[in-house]
Parts: sequence; C-alpha cells; structure tokens
Amino acid sequence: MELFRLEHKKLWRKTSVRVSVLLCFAYVVIFGGFLTYQWFEFGSSPDLVSHSFDGYSLIRSQQEQAASYGGVLTDEAFQQMVADYQAADASGDKVKMDIIDWKTMSLYLNQLYPDLKNDSDIRPVYYYVDTEKLTGFYERRLASLDTFLHSQGQTGEEGAMLMAMNDKVEEPFRYEWVRGWQYVLGTSLADLGTIMAVFVAIVLAPTFSGEWHNNTAPLILTTDGGWRRLALEKVLCGLAFAVELFMLMAVGGITAQLVYLGTDGWDMPIQTMKLLAVAPMNMLQAEIYEYAFTLLGVIGFAGVVMLLSALVKSNFLSLLFSLAAVYGPMMVANYLPASLQGVLGMLPLVGDASDIFRTNTFHIFGKYIWSPYLLIIVPVLIGLVCIPFAIIKWSRRQQA
Amino acid sequence: MELSFDRLTKHYGHKIAVDCVSATLTPGVYGLLGANGAGKTTLMRMLCAILEPTSGEVFFNGEEVTGMGAAYRNVLGYLPQDFGYYPNYTAAEFLSYIATLKGIPRDMAQRRIRDLLNTVGLLGAAKKKLRTFSGGMKQRVGIAQALLNDPQVLILDEPTAGLDPKERVHLRNLLADYAGDKIVILSTHIVSDVEAIADQVLVMKNGRFILRGTVPELVRRASGKVWELTVPAAKARAWEKRVAVANFRHEGEYVVLRIISDQRPAEQAVPCQATMEDLYLYHFGEEA
Repeated sequence: MELFRLEHKKLWRKTSVRVSVLLCFAYVVIFGGFLTYQWFEFGSSPDLVSHSFDGYSLIRSQQEQAASYGGVLTDEAFQQMVADYQAADASGDKVKMDIIDWKTMSLYLNQLYPDLKNDSDIRPVYYYVDTEKLTGFYERRLASLDTFLHSQGQTGEEGAMLMAMNDKVEEPFRYEWVRGWQYVLGTSLADLGTIMAVFVAIVLAPTFSGEWHNNTAPLILTTDGGWRRLALEKVLCGLAFAVELFMLMAVGGITAQLVYLGTDGWDMPIQTMKLLAVAPMNMLQAEIYEYAFTLLGVIGFAGVVMLLSALVKSNFLSLLFSLAAVYGPMMVANYLPASLQGVLGMLPLVGDASDIFRTNTFHIFGKYIWSPYLLIIVPVLIGLVCIPFAIIKWSRRQQA
Repeated sequence: MELSFDRLTKHYGHKIAVDCVSATLTPGVYGLLGANGAGKTTLMRMLCAILEPTSGEVFFNGEEVTGMGAAYRNVLGYLPQDFGYYPNYTAAEFLSYIATLKGIPRDMAQRRIRDLLNTVGLLGAAKKKLRTFSGGMKQRVGIAQALLNDPQVLILDEPTAGLDPKERVHLRNLLADYAGDKIVILSTHIVSDVEAIADQVLVMKNGRFILRGTVPELVRRASGKVWELTVPAAKARAWEKRVAVANFRHEGEYVVLRIISDQRPAEQAVPCQATMEDLYLYHFGEEA
C-alpha cells in the first residue's frame, strides 16, 4: 500500500500529468459543460449563428414549455406543440419560437411524417404542416422502424430480436424537454472517451518506458521488491489514475448537468430523442450506460497504453503508439466493411457509447447479440488481458 | 561473510567486457581501479545480479546469488554509475520510495532517511525536489539510497563522480566508518580515492584483473620505475613524446619531469618514491 501511495504521488507530481488533467477538465467540464449550457449551445440565438450568454434562463423556459404539454407524448400533445410554434411564428413571437423544442419537433416530423412535406416550400416542415394530420404517431414509428430494419437487412431472427426489445418500450412516451438530454447523451458523453484518450495516453505512456528515460532500472532491480512488485503497483496506479480522471470528469459533467438541466425528464424513454432506437431504456439508464461505457473503455485503454509502454523504451514512441491505438482504427474504420467496423469498435475507446440508440448487432456462434452489450465489456477485457503481458514484457526487458 | 566470483565472464557479441575474473572478497573496502571501458561497471552489475554473466557465477556466503533472489537483494546496496532518479520527487520522498521498494517498514525508514540525509549533508535540502539538485547533491542522494537497508555488501560505481574535493573527503570518511564488518566495493578511475580508503585494490584492464593487493603492495610494484629528471623548459615536450610523463613541475627556466619507465631514462634522472598514481600511469599510460 505504501508503495502504491508513493507511486501514485510520483505520478501526480509530474507537470505533464497536472497540465493534462487541467486541460481535460477545462475542455470537458468548463467548455463542454458550463460554458456550453450557458452560452455555446443553449444560449438564445436570435441570428441563428451566434449565441447569447443566457443559457440558464432559456433552458428553464424551454423546460416549462415542454412540461406544458402534459408530460406524455400523445398525438394531441404533438399537434399542440407544432400548433404553438406555428402560432408564435404567425405572431412574430421570436421568444416563444426559441423556447419550443423545434429541433425535436423537426426530428419527429421528418422521420414519421415525410408524406406531409411540401417540396415546393423551402421552410422546415413544422412551419406549415397541417397539425390535424399529425396522427398515428406510434403506428407510424413502428412502421418506420420496420422499414428501417428491412433496409438494413435486419430481418428474420435478428429482426425479431430487435422488435422484441422494442416491444418492451412503454407507450405512450413520457415527454419533457428532450434537447438537453440529446446534448448530454448524444454529444457530450458520446465524445467523452475520445477526448479522455488523449490525456490518458499522455499520462500513462511513460509508465514503464519512463523508467528507461529516468535510468532507474539498476536501482529497482537491486531492491527487495524488485521489478515484479513495482510493476504491479505501477499498473494499479495507472488504473487508479484512469478511474480518478474519469471521476473528475464525471463529477464535473454531472454537476454542470444538474445545475443547468436539473433532473427533469430522467424517466423519458430514449426513443424521444432517437425514434428508431429499440432499447427499452430511459434517459437515466442511458446516461448510466454511457458513463459505464466510458469508464470501462478508459480502464481498457489504460491497460493497452501500459502494455505499449512496456514494449518500447521511448516515451515518444509509447505515446505515439498509444494514440494510434485509438485514433488509427477511428481513421480507417470508414473505409472498411461494416463487419470490420464493428470489430474495431470493440477496441477500447474506439467504439461509440451511442450505439444504445442503434440497432447494430454482432452475430457470434449463431447468436445475435445487441452491439452495446459487447461494446461495453470487450474493451475492458482487452485492457485487463494486456496488463499481465505488460508486467511480463517489462520484467524481461529489465533483466537484459 | 564472503562474496566470491568464479571465472566471471561477459561477452557483448564479439566484444569481451569481463574476461574470466575470479576473486574472494571478505569484509573490507575494495577499490576497483581501471580506465573507462576496463569492465568495472559490467563486473559490478554482475555482482549485483542485475546482469546475467555469459559464464561464471557469483556466490554470497557460498550460495549462488541469482538463486538467492530477494535474500541477496536484502543485503545489497548499489549505487549505479549513471544514477537514475525521479526529478519531481523531493530527496526525502525519493529515499522513502526506495526504502519501500527495499521492504523497509515505514517508521524505520523515516528514521533511517533522516539519519542518512544528515550523514550525507542533505538534511536541509530534504524537501527540495531532486531536479533542483546539483550533480554532487544528486550523487549524495544516490549514496544515501544505497545505504538505506544497511547493506552487508555495498557496491558503488564511481561514487565520487561529480563530488567536489570536500565532498569526496567526506564520502571517503563515511565509507571508512561504514565498512567495518561489511564488504564495500567501489569503482573509480580517481586514484587518490582508492589510495585513501581501499584495503585492497583490484586493477582492471581489458576485462581482466591485472593487479591486486593492498595499496603499499601495489605501490611497491611501481618502485624503481619512477624517476625525476630536470630538463630545460624547451626540451620538456620532446621528453613527453619519448617517455610516460606523470607530472611537469616548472622551476625557473627548467622543468622537473616525473617519468614512469622501466629503465633509467637518462643519466641525470634520479629514482623517487612511487605512488598509486604512478602505478596507474604505468599500466594505463597510453589510455590516460
């Protein structure tokens, strides 16, 4: 325990570690959290380009407006939503137009009511659609989902599995303000792992290679604990750092979310933000999944970075390979067949937490498995498998 | 207590770094003397069991050291030649870290660290980061870490490198006090250090021991090979090309040359008292 404490202290003493954590925190929590809610994304946008520094009050107004539709997404509620927007447009009430969730409205209309679109009118469909015709929301959603699955070739056993998942989604949907959750689950959390990968790599790449850089091998090898004990502590310390960094980002992100968005709408089904999602999850469950996905991905990635650090003697190469382990697959994935993309997605922090909104599956040993199950488990397993190899490889190098 | 090595050899490809050396060391201070590249560091690393010999074995009290593992490391203290450290640690933290690696209980380690920092004159700098230390201060931290576990076998590779004369004298006294019933091996190419504290000297050249013995014994081997010759200053350089000159001393228009030579270099040359430095030059003159 004492060695772990000292190793941990050694890690946090490094300037590169402190700067990395500070930058990560600033990017994720300050810019991606507080300033985005208050300004960059949720501030009012009278000219549709820039945003004002009034996110907090605008979010409150939007939440109140969404709550006014009764908390359940029925045909009538949706019709009222669109009608309110059209009335505000007719009266030139820009403030009202800003607080109605037109992005979500647009999503529903484009996906479920494409037949109501007037090609000769260049305005978004919610400006002119006849609200009386906005009926059969859930029947249209089901038909749309069925069409989508067929277009993806997801029929037979696979299609049945996905539809069985969808059957568990409660209808009618609970409905409150969706846009905040869209940002949290679709953008902020979905990108968290990709951003953290940079900083985890910078901090952990020198875990073992740094000992060569510091030329400490002869000292370590002549101590009682020797390399094996130290290697174990280093690995534990690296994993602890990964968890600490994650916790820092998660606590910061959740704090910003609670301050600005509150808890309203936590029990809405995720289908309110992605109509064709089949998972019977609410927003809170989705958020827990995405945080768990990132945490396990970061732990898995930490294992990979430490293995790479043990394989090379240069800090620079260790960092380079670590970054390549995440961003390399991301870069080439788009040029590969879908099945290979799926496999690459199982590498730590390469996959996407927002797969819970999709219908992707893996076909393994004759069984269809919904992709998020594997995407959350496999990366951490890869990392854990890397750890003993890192210890063994480093010890062999040290004994040269 | 006995540390012995038998026909210890290390090859790096075709290069022979250490060539079949054997010795038995009992408590005392051993000076390993030799020019750069003589094989001192390679030998020391093998004695520390951190470098695998090509052939030969090292024994501590009759037991082969690699087989002893942690039991050998427990009685070993080592200062490597290029002493590696963590620049963001303070001296006290670094020693605490090494003490933990050496398995010393925390309370005991803290007392020992304080004593050792005091001994090496760094108590006042205990809380300063190592990156702010001078070369000499770092070297003293290195010596302190080697002594942390009160080792029975202390191996110091170039311990006086980077130390100023006062620090070197302090270190010599420290080692002389420490030795007692322990085996201390120090390598250096600074002859005066060996001369001052080594009970036994092992002179290495091309991976072999070419001489061994006490300082007086070795100095005796050089006697009759050291001469002083007074020549006009203008001719001094010419003499330097012909013979091994250990020293030039200007006296007015003349220069007194200290010459190492098997034969009397000139009629006027007078024999003089040999020192370890003369012996070193006798054997390593062409490399010096």
